[in-house]
Amino acid sequence: MAVTLEVAEVGKDFLIPVIDRVSFTVEAGEFVCLLGPNGCGKTTLLRIIGGLEPPTRGRVLLGGEPVAGSDRHHHRVGVVFQEDRLLPWLTVRKNVELVLKPVGLGPTERRETAARYLGMAGLAGFEDYYPGRVSGGMRQRAAIARALAVEPDVLLMDEPFGALDAQNRRIMQKEVRRIWRETGRTIVFVTHSIEEAVEIGTTLIMLSARPARIRELIRNDGGTGRAKLVDDLNTIIMEEVERQQIGRPG
Amino acid sequence: MLPSPRSVLIGLVEIVRSGEVWTHTAASLVRIVIGFGAAVVVSVLMGLGAFLSRAVRTVVRDVLAVLNSTSVFVWIVISLIWFGLSNWAPIFTTFMITLPVVASNLVEGVAGVDRRLLEMGDVYRLSGGEKFTAIVIPSTVPYLIAGMKVGFGLALKVSVVAEIFGVTTGIGYIMNYSREILATQMVFAWALVMILIMMATDKLVFDAAARRLTRWR
Repeated sequence: MAVTLEVAEVGKDFLIPVIDRVSFTVEAGEFVCLLGPNGCGKTTLLRIIGGLEPPTRGRVLLGGEPVAGSDRHHHRVGVVFQEDRLLPWLTVRKNVELVLKPVGLGPTERRETAARYLGMAGLAGFEDYYPGRVSGGMRQRAAIARALAVEPDVLLMDEPFGALDAQNRRIMQKEVRRIWRETGRTIVFVTHSIEEAVEIGTTLIMLSARPARIRELIRNDGGTGRAKLVDDLNTIIMEEVERQQIGRPG
Repeated sequence: MLPSPRSVLIGLVEIVRSGEVWTHTAASLVRIVIGFGAAVVVSVLMGLGAFLSRAVRTVVRDVLAVLNSTSVFVWIVISLIWFGLSNWAPIFTTFMITLPVVASNLVEGVAGVDRRLLEMGDVYRLSGGEKFTAIVIPSTVPYLIAGMKVGFGLALKVSVVAEIFGVTTGIGYIMNYSREILATQMVFAWALVMILIMMATDKLVFDAAARRLTRWR
């Protein structure tokens, strides 16, 4: 079941403040795209949401429960990283089946669930291939199938198509959009491509230059023309990039 | 003057025909299997410790560096003092010489386990045991096999030297004995036996295991 995700006053310092203070709420079933200039802390924010990194300030609530460490809340999170992170020594099928063990499925159910989601990701017939034997696009699709197979309450995706060529990228955007419609998952999707965000997101969150704050939060309901939205966002991101280059106090 | 290849071959045929080849080879192999086997077991324990704790990893690395730079002769002397003229002297020497080779390979393998894969395991809440069997073992096994391959060759060479002292069976003993009675061709015949053993284990054991375990490549 998809749940509400609440990011409340979250901030993160490494040696310098990376994320200043960010708050937003994602309703169940929304498709949120996080945008922002390079190095503004998009990935860090996503890692905090996924419980892979503790925030310095604030907290993240998933269905009302705090996300802290990786094991404390009862909700399931699926993550698609920039790299596929498949285990090279397991077949595509076994990779998916592996993460279904902690979910508590028996062997038969694991096999069926894996087959269903691999099919959804367009990998029917490739289940018994090792990751090294299929293309980069297929590996990334297998990683998406793995994330979906645990039926996560929230699916986090960190520039999942960054390593793909333009053609595969477009195909994958369509696929993810379709899978999102079919499964109704809550998705938070980090990308540096404004076109990609406008193409697939229902809510677009533009972060400022480091330390990150929310610069704009836009409902992408088709009210504004796509081309205009892309233009506007490009203008904003360039402003932020300039600010980052000049540097600023604090 | 070196013995002619012909006399070496005749010598080889002789020891095969008399069955002497089996007695001494078996005696050496038993010692190697015990010493080298113990080294592999201890290496695995060290690798496990290195995986579980960064502090242990540092200590293990330092200990291995010391062992790695200690001469075979030192171990032979120590083992003669401790175990006297017995089977345990070559076994102990083999153990001490092969341990750092196998263990350092394994510890490097453990240190090289892809953290990103472990993080993936955390995301999907794999238990410690599941992460260990699904991620850590498969990524370190190639290092273990590589270490064992080098280690076994070393074990064979070292145990033979250690057998010069204090035992009355084994390839090392018989080689030294042949040298003393000036049957130099037999020294080379036995050297050939060693080469054959080494080649056979490499091909039949280690290469086969490596192929089986890395089919996914």
